[in-house]
Amino acid sequence: MKRRTVFQSLVGVSALTPALVPALQAQTAPSSTTPAADDVFKIDLTSADAVATPEHSFFTAQQYASLERLCDLLMPAHNNRPSAKQAEVPQFLDFLLSASPAGRQVLYSQGLDQLDIDARRQQGKAFAALSDAEAASLLAPLRAAWNWASPSQLLPRFLREAKNDVLRATSNSKAWANAAAGSRRATGVNTYWDVIE
Amino acid sequence: MTQDYDVVIIGSGAAGGMAAYTLCKAGVKCLMLEAGPMIDFQRHRTMKAVYDLPYRGFGEPGRFPHITQASEFDANVWIDEKKNPYSYPEEDPFYWVRIRMMGGKTLRWGRASWRLSNFEFKGKDHDGFGENWPVTLEDLAPFYDRVEPLFRVSGRNEGWPQMPDGKIMADESRDSLSIQRFKASAAKLGVPTTKPRRATGTLASSVNLLLPDALATGNLTIVPHAVVREIGIDNGTGRVNAVHFVDRRNKRDYSVPVKMLMLGASTLESTRLLLNSRSRLFPNGLANSSGVLGHYLFDQFYVKNTVVAVVPEARGGKGGRTLMGGGGYIPRFRNLKGKEKNFIRGYAYDFGSGGSPSPEILPAYGSDLLKMMDELQGSTFSMTTMGEGLPRYENKVSIHPTLKDAWGIPSLHIQQKYTDNEFNMAKDAMETGAAACEGAGFEVLAKHWEMVPPGESIHELGTCRMGADPKKSVLNGWNQAHDVKNLFVLDGSSFVSGGVQNPTLTILALTVRASEYMMEQKKKGQL
Repeated sequence: MKRRTVFQSLVGVSALTPALVPALQAQTAPSSTTPAADDVFKIDLTSADAVATPEHSFFTAQQYASLERLCDLLMPAHNNRPSAKQAEVPQFLDFLLSASPAGRQVLYSQGLDQLDIDARRQQGKAFAALSDAEAASLLAPLRAAWNWASPSQLLPRFLREAKNDVLRATSNSKAWANAAAGSRRATGVNTYWDVIE
Repeated sequence: MTQDYDVVIIGSGAAGGMAAYTLCKAGVKCLMLEAGPMIDFQRHRTMKAVYDLPYRGFGEPGRFPHITQASEFDANVWIDEKKNPYSYPEEDPFYWVRIRMMGGKTLRWGRASWRLSNFEFKGKDHDGFGENWPVTLEDLAPFYDRVEPLFRVSGRNEGWPQMPDGKIMADESRDSLSIQRFKASAAKLGVPTTKPRRATGTLASSVNLLLPDALATGNLTIVPHAVVREIGIDNGTGRVNAVHFVDRRNKRDYSVPVKMLMLGASTLESTRLLLNSRSRLFPNGLANSSGVLGHYLFDQFYVKNTVVAVVPEARGGKGGRTLMGGGGYIPRFRNLKGKEKNFIRGYAYDFGSGGSPSPEILPAYGSDLLKMMDELQGSTFSMTTMGEGLPRYENKVSIHPTLKDAWGIPSLHIQQKYTDNEFNMAKDAMETGAAACEGAGFEVLAKHWEMVPPGESIHELGTCRMGADPKKSVLNGWNQAHDVKNLFVLDGSSFVSGGVQNPTLTILALTVRASEYMMEQKKKGQL
């Protein structure tokens, strides 16, 4: 067997001998009387996100409000690209954190709580109610020069993680792909490896 | 039903695949046992949008605590860490990255294909540390000559002793202007640069380059799902006489008789198997009369994005293909003529032009960040360091007293830590890389020296090393166990040192050499 032929068989392409092909075709070719029930149809499917609202499962109402505001601040709409909120990032992160290891759950919960505590102390109102200018001092750690080591303090550490997650969740969203359609921007299509027995 | 095979091969990756290719073409009947399944490239792979994945590309949280390379797209390729646990000291994490399917890690390797040089083979002669290999470049060169064309390696021969020339396809591609500027700047610092050297083709794997030809001979039988738990030995003759394995899917146990065993299960899996194969003759692990089996673990440390810089003229989308794009390689250049720094051995870099910086390193958020990202798109120049980790006795693997995998096979406890030699090397790499970028007129955005945890480079080596002295090594210069003549260990576990070169090409060359030696010895009646 030639290398290419063997490879075809390895990857699932039949390497049939010519003599066998007509016989198999006779066995498998559909006749005009084949009942439709035996056909394999292409069924169009829709994701749950497109028709239903995800239920909140992790953050408290106050934390969630802070998260929504943080998403607004970190990733606003820009150059015809959607904002984090338009990309439904708060809902997605609520789900993702519900499934995450405890360390990440604690970081997010405490980080959002800390933002709210600091906002009330500095501005006298909830973080969710802060203007962009009022929030700037709380987000100052994100304007600091990058360092490889993760910050030791809770809030800078949380903000660094949240910034990465919000940007990634936005650019990996369907809203982002729709906005990028027709342009040269990447739409996040890649080879997916299915579960292998 | 039991068949009669001349050789049993464990593993189907670079080592196992190359052994099958070499032996079967020479008329040797081989049985290959692979722990994982076969991939159906058509059935198992589809194109998907990232937003259609269950976790929007983040991957299932907590699924891969140690495999940073895994994405949600290819998560099903990597080993299931829950079914295949291992341990390490809490303060010294080791990232053991594994693939368990036909072709092994050759399905996902980086393809960089550099020969080792006599700076590695004769490292002890050069700086007094460690041991020399019982093999020299001159011994291995004829075998490199044969595997490079097979893996369609391209690159550039430069005639440098630390980067031996190969039998490769010449890469005559023109460098972009940013690469030319960087090379000129590096040259002023005495830092050599060259083209990448790597295997080409859409797939450069055992499953398309080695196993098909081996199967075509009619001499190869492959059994997937065969998780080998133990190698049996005849306590009278001192020879391997059986392999005991369990079916991955239904946990049914099997045994197969062995005349000759070629072990290529991957660096640490091979050593784990030997350590788990205890007998009256070898109570501390098969072929371990020296006591060094499991010791001298090392790898190549990686500092990802040691330096990230911006080519100023490429800001605002003005880069274009003339200015930006392409990449290259810097081979080891430190300590080639004696000790010149506060460390021994050396490091290499990969560098590339034309990407965009990670938002993480940009000191901004919101609209400011997005404007910055637009401004810097396609303007980035980055470097990654690969440094030589030293083989030390205290870096080792051992069998965990209680931890077992899903098939009841005792797991490994892995202990490896870097020392000041590696840290000093990484710091020198950061400063030298940044200086070369600045000399080229690039703006350094970020630099750091902190390496990823041991193991993450997927270049773990040693633990079943070769050597001339049976008291200090497990294998002789032909990858043959000093203690057990019909046992050959072919993979990266056999390495004495690793330099900075990616190890796959050397594993392939060593395997051809060992396989042919085995056949010669057999003909002479020496086995």
